[in-house]
Amino acid sequence: MDPQLSLVLPYLADALVILGLWVMTVGVYGVIRMPDTYTRLHAASKAVFLGVISFCASSAVTGEPAIIYRAILIAAFLLVTTPISAFVIARAALLRGERMETPGALDESSKNPPETASR
Amino acid sequence: MHEIVFYLAFAWMTVLLVVGAAAVIRLRSTAGRILALDTLTLILVGLLVLYADANRSSYYMDAALVLSLLAFVATLVLARYHGERSIF
Repeated sequence: MDPQLSLVLPYLADALVILGLWVMTVGVYGVIRMPDTYTRLHAASKAVFLGVISFCASSAVTGEPAIIYRAILIAAFLLVTTPISAFVIARAALLRGERMETPGALDESSKNPPETASR
Repeated sequence: MHEIVFYLAFAWMTVLLVVGAAAVIRLRSTAGRILALDTLTLILVGLLVLYADANRSSYYMDAALVLSLLAFVATLVLARYHGERSIF
């Protein structure tokens, strides 16, 4: 490998790890901060998943081939399954009739019609 | 990855794990709890990936892959059972 590149790569891995930490912190904070399940899904599915992807990228930067293949496999698998998990959780919340607690939220499902039509 | 970054990241991920566990316990709605459990498992997967990266050992990556598979199936089953009272 190029000696200059091998000098830079650990710092790139550090940057990716810190980016992943930041994104996951935002995601976990969103889970405890958001008012209802539908808005919590934004933080939980997207942010935490992107944090794990960033960790996988960091291990692909420094690791050997066995780690790189598995990192790609984990990233691809999470890329496929995270939207399905989010969809299933949102569907469960909708079927159980959870209300949207966000101020100004407009629930367009037929189960919970909006109280005021003037808005 | 440097040693100090690994230790800081590991400590911070442990804090996030504790916060996620508190969210599983404290949240009111069951769908929110399923969501927080999914988040918790994803944090654990991230922790295992980080550990595999620091130790240069691919066995932890296998564990992370299996854990993400199990988390997906668990979330699917829990959410379907909660939503429509039947899994299949």
